Amino acid sequence: MKIRIIVPLHPKLIIAVLALSLLPIQGSASELRQQIIAGFAQDAKLKNSGFAGFSAGRGQTLFLSKPATGKPDTPSCTTCHSINPAAKGQTRAGKEIAPMAVSKTPERFTDSKKVEKWFRRNCKSVLGRICTALEKGDFVTFMSNQ
Amino acid sequence: MAKVMIWDLPLRLFHWLMVATVAIAGITGFVAPAAWLDIHLFAGYALAILLAFRLAWGVLGSYYSRFRSFPLAPRSAFRHLRSLLRNSAAAHTGHNPVGAWMIIAVLFLLLALVLSGLIVLGGQENLGPLGFLVDFQTGWRAAALHEIAAWGLAGAIAVHLLGVFVEARLLRHPVVSAMITGNKLVTRAKAKGQGRSYKARGLTLFTIAALMLLGGGKMLASIPASGWKPVQTPAVYSAECGDCHDAYHPSLRTAASWRGIMSGLSDHYGEDASLDAETAAAMGAFLAANAAETFDTEAAWRMGRIDTKSLRITDTPYWTARHAGIADGVFKLSSVGSKVNCNGCHRDAASGRFADQDIHLPNLSKLPNGSQK
Repeated sequence: MKIRIIVPLHPKLIIAVLALSLLPIQGSASELRQQIIAGFAQDAKLKNSGFAGFSAGRGQTLFLSKPATGKPDTPSCTTCHSINPAAKGQTRAGKEIAPMAVSKTPERFTDSKKVEKWFRRNCKSVLGRICTALEKGDFVTFMSNQ
Repeated sequence: MAKVMIWDLPLRLFHWLMVATVAIAGITGFVAPAAWLDIHLFAGYALAILLAFRLAWGVLGSYYSRFRSFPLAPRSAFRHLRSLLRNSAAAHTGHNPVGAWMIIAVLFLLLALVLSGLIVLGGQENLGPLGFLVDFQTGWRAAALHEIAAWGLAGAIAVHLLGVFVEARLLRHPVVSAMITGNKLVTRAKAKGQGRSYKARGLTLFTIAALMLLGGGKMLASIPASGWKPVQTPAVYSAECGDCHDAYHPSLRTAASWRGIMSGLSDHYGEDASLDAETAAAMGAFLAANAAETFDTEAAWRMGRIDTKSLRITDTPYWTARHAGIADGVFKLSSVGSKVNCNGCHRDAASGRFADQDIHLPNLSKLPNGSQK
């Protein structure tokens, strides 16, 4: 006995299947980012019971500010990341840094270990101290909208 | 007097091909930048084949090409020199006695150049047919010999040209046209068959010499080089270092220097580059196991083993000297970034070899005005 399996390979079906298969990846990147922001929100609330959510505007102010309270070679975020979040940056050693804007670099802020590592290092380099959960949340919120 | 073929065609081809390859090797060796080394090597390999052919031709070639026909008796060389001073030397059918000694000297010098060149290549660059055999120090010593032999050959060429000038212009022996057409006007030819051109035998011998040397050389070159080993770079090392700069080959610093760098990451040349303990431990182990002390390469000896106060590779005297001629603008090109990114120009930086012929200077026309030295 012969078994015949008929698969209707309509082009529209293929596109639909491909589009569906991409959705979960898209979803998980922003999901991971939301989880990271939620973690910052939890910490921010612990510190300040009046915490009323993150602000992209505050994040932008932080990004563009020139605190110059950290290491002399890195007075601001924009020293390396450039003033435009959608543009590429350059490390002091000359290596290219992918744009911070999530629209340009979708995998930004999806690996919490990496996020914590770079906030730890760069806040010390630029501000001379570690960043608060509020600052981190504002920063990621700003870059997510960019 | 009769026109007789003295220099057979294979010998004449050998002579002029040797002129061409020695010229290329000389220019690329003395004048051209290090990145042209592959052309120099090409000329060297060609010379090796030509030399092998000439040695065989000295036994199997036509009469005047054979070493046995060379008038090498010291007394006749002195007699020839004396007669030269009186401006009355007789024309010789083959080589004159001084010229014959000259050829022996040039062949020895060329042999010394090819051999010492292969030793330098094997020892200093860990490449070529002797890469598996020669250590760095031997390669270093052979480099001095290579240079001495090169100057010796330059001197020998000068004497040869002077000899040709004396013969052709002062004594009016048509030696130049003889090396082009092969013919000389002589009263009698010494050997039978001198009129034949020996084309087929020459081609056969040349092909055998080329195949044997190229085949054997390739086989030997495929043996892993001594002093250099492939390194399994952990992904974490490439990622953590490579986020900001070229992830250096571990052979570029000593184990002690690497320990110093890893323990000072919280202030890494003006930046906080601290790592979590687990990552740092994994990277430290990799660096310690593959530090400069474990490599016998040029880079490991001349930079890796040289500790600097700043711990920087770019502060070693060798690095500074070798990059002194490079304009600042080259380092600032986006394809390079800065002096710390070896792989901007050294295409084999990741392997730790830093072979001269793998240097690829970026397009200098992109340099902004005024940044060229």
